[in-house]
Amino acid sequence: MTKTSRAASQTQVLDDVRRALGHSNTIKPVPLEPFVEPPSEEDAATLVERFIEEAVSLGCKVYRVDHAGAVGPCVAGICTKAGVDKVVVSGAALLAKLGLSTQLEKHQLATSCVAEFRETDKEHLVTHLAARMVGVTAVDAAIAETGSLLLTSDEDQALLVSLLPPIHIAVLKVSQIRQSLTTVIEKLNSERMGHDGRRRSATLISGPSRTSDVELTLSIGVHGPKELHVIILAG
Amino acid sequence: MNPPNTDLTERSHLALEDAILQGALKRATDTFIERRRDAVATVPDWEGLRTRARQVKEHTINHLDYYLEQLVEKVTTLGGQVYWAHTGDDVNRYIIELARARGVKSVVKAKSMTTEEIELNHALEAAGVRPIETDLGEYIIQLAHEKPSHIIVPAIHKTREQISDLFEEKLKAGRPRGVSEITAMARARLRDEFLSAGMGITGANFAIAETGTIVLVENEGNIRLSTQVPKIHVAVVGIEKVIPRFEDLSVFLRLLPRSGTGQKLTAYTSFLNGPRVEDVFALDENPHAAGDGNGQRATEQRGSTQQPHEFHLILMDNGRTNILADKQMRESLYCIRCGACLNVCPVYQKIGGQAYGWIYPGPIGAIISPQLQGLEKAAELPFASSLCGACRDACPVAINIPDLLLALRSKVREERGGKLSESLGIRGLSMVGRHPLLFRMAGKIARGLAGLLAKDGRIQSVPLSPLNKWTRYRDLPAPSGGSFAKWWKDQGADD
Repeated sequence: MTKTSRAASQTQVLDDVRRALGHSNTIKPVPLEPFVEPPSEEDAATLVERFIEEAVSLGCKVYRVDHAGAVGPCVAGICTKAGVDKVVVSGAALLAKLGLSTQLEKHQLATSCVAEFRETDKEHLVTHLAARMVGVTAVDAAIAETGSLLLTSDEDQALLVSLLPPIHIAVLKVSQIRQSLTTVIEKLNSERMGHDGRRRSATLISGPSRTSDVELTLSIGVHGPKELHVIILAG
Repeated sequence: MNPPNTDLTERSHLALEDAILQGALKRATDTFIERRRDAVATVPDWEGLRTRARQVKEHTINHLDYYLEQLVEKVTTLGGQVYWAHTGDDVNRYIIELARARGVKSVVKAKSMTTEEIELNHALEAAGVRPIETDLGEYIIQLAHEKPSHIIVPAIHKTREQISDLFEEKLKAGRPRGVSEITAMARARLRDEFLSAGMGITGANFAIAETGTIVLVENEGNIRLSTQVPKIHVAVVGIEKVIPRFEDLSVFLRLLPRSGTGQKLTAYTSFLNGPRVEDVFALDENPHAAGDGNGQRATEQRGSTQQPHEFHLILMDNGRTNILADKQMRESLYCIRCGACLNVCPVYQKIGGQAYGWIYPGPIGAIISPQLQGLEKAAELPFASSLCGACRDACPVAINIPDLLLALRSKVREERGGKLSESLGIRGLSMVGRHPLLFRMAGKIARGLAGLLAKDGRIQSVPLSPLNKWTRYRDLPAPSGGSFAKWWKDQGADD
């Protein structure tokens, strides 16, 4: 297709839309009134319990720990039980603060951090992550109503670390659990996701990767992680 | 797309005589109906959500020019490239040119109805670019060279034994035993494809005008891999997929997974804004990417040795503006492709997706296919419905499918002119209906004949009559002895 004909087709579709609508030029519509739903209130304790119930029903394994030092041993325990090492840790501030990499080294787990790949190209990182057995990330928020985790590109490589290795371990704090999908959509929106021309992506994760494509029989771990472990840290 | 070379009746017969397909359809539609019902019950005001979703769709479609312009502006600001495609061929040509320019040899594809609609895979293959379907069901269909039979579970018509045979023959890595081995084999094979593909192609469930965000829902993780691993992501999106605001998602994301698979949310819901963050050139053409002081933008400021990631949004018309131009039919464009209307449709439940002969099956397909492909090519589809209305009740955006089917039927009539036998039949019926004596006589004759044919209260066949079509696959219940008028009188009711 030549440049000129491409340019012609660029205006054609929009012209066709206007013609179909009977608009001579585009007019800014009066937006719909906001959709108001009665807020449902739950206290923090109920939120955690609801989150755990939903996450477990999706096939997640959930662990509650009461202090920062317990996160490392918990991760190590999961690895031992699965019989794997080769752990990779995302660049999350929370995980750095917990000193997770150091904690894991103490448990003789081969641990790498995505920060080591800052200067290399993307292909090296992807190849490395695809060969790791366990990816550990923090989360941006969690949803009680659906048992979901929100991961965003604000956390260095969280989206790939939670995707390529066959086991994903997510660490979250109790205070990060929100009530509903609506509150998390509002949160992303109020952080002006996309509004300010900032490139940012996010994924809501609800349980391990799954398919029912063969005879509607549930099978876990088709392209994403087979196991999703959630460690909930008090605070 | 070329019209199928058999007619709907022939294809339906084939489907009805296929015992494996009948079993699979029953299992799939029963399961999805039940899962959907349970999931709907978890929402306090389902009807309120449907009404709102319909309002949003109606508003957006009536101002589609505005919202498309807004979307394009946002995506461009984010560093994405936008291409408006008048036809499916335009889309295919654009993608092939892009693949050639970037030296792309293989493409990983997520399940996408739009790319099925335009037969992108054929075009890519012809151009020497290898397309790989990565959704498990689509992968199976691609290996078998077949067409999908359901929007949500494309390979529902195949048994695990058939799939094991297929994998053994095509992948040459032994015979998988059971569903988990099938899944593991596909995972291993496709993982290599994700890591080596030069481009990922997806559709979109929603495109947010206000923010330029593309939203994709899935369960397997193949969409995440297709959008996040290869250097180039192309999203092929029908122009009707735009919705105005990010906050509208809280309504649509509660409706779509519940209606489609009966889940509260699918395993993954991805929100993509422009090219991927982590391998964009440091502070290139985007002045807004400057750090905000708390280090959150660190990821955007490194990677200067890398190739930039590319995001291409293709906005496709391919017949949609024709639908838009018809005020009554316009609401066909509200569809969010959940598949709920398929599962509840008594016709779909018996004939399955492939018998429809076009990419979009079921009640919504019977509306969309004739409009996208041309009424003359798919004129039989609007007639493949009992107009029972189950589809309208299941639709998360309350599309009035039965009314639209009727409207399409009259369009077909207008274009073709009615058959002589049909108009004589209707005239005869109308005369009998208007004359009480004739009506009573006709009733008596029919009851007499039915009594002769009935056996144990069922009529298994009606010789020499059009009713044979009915009795071919089911019995006709024998009418009870007396007439309604007599029964009414016996009840002592007034006339």
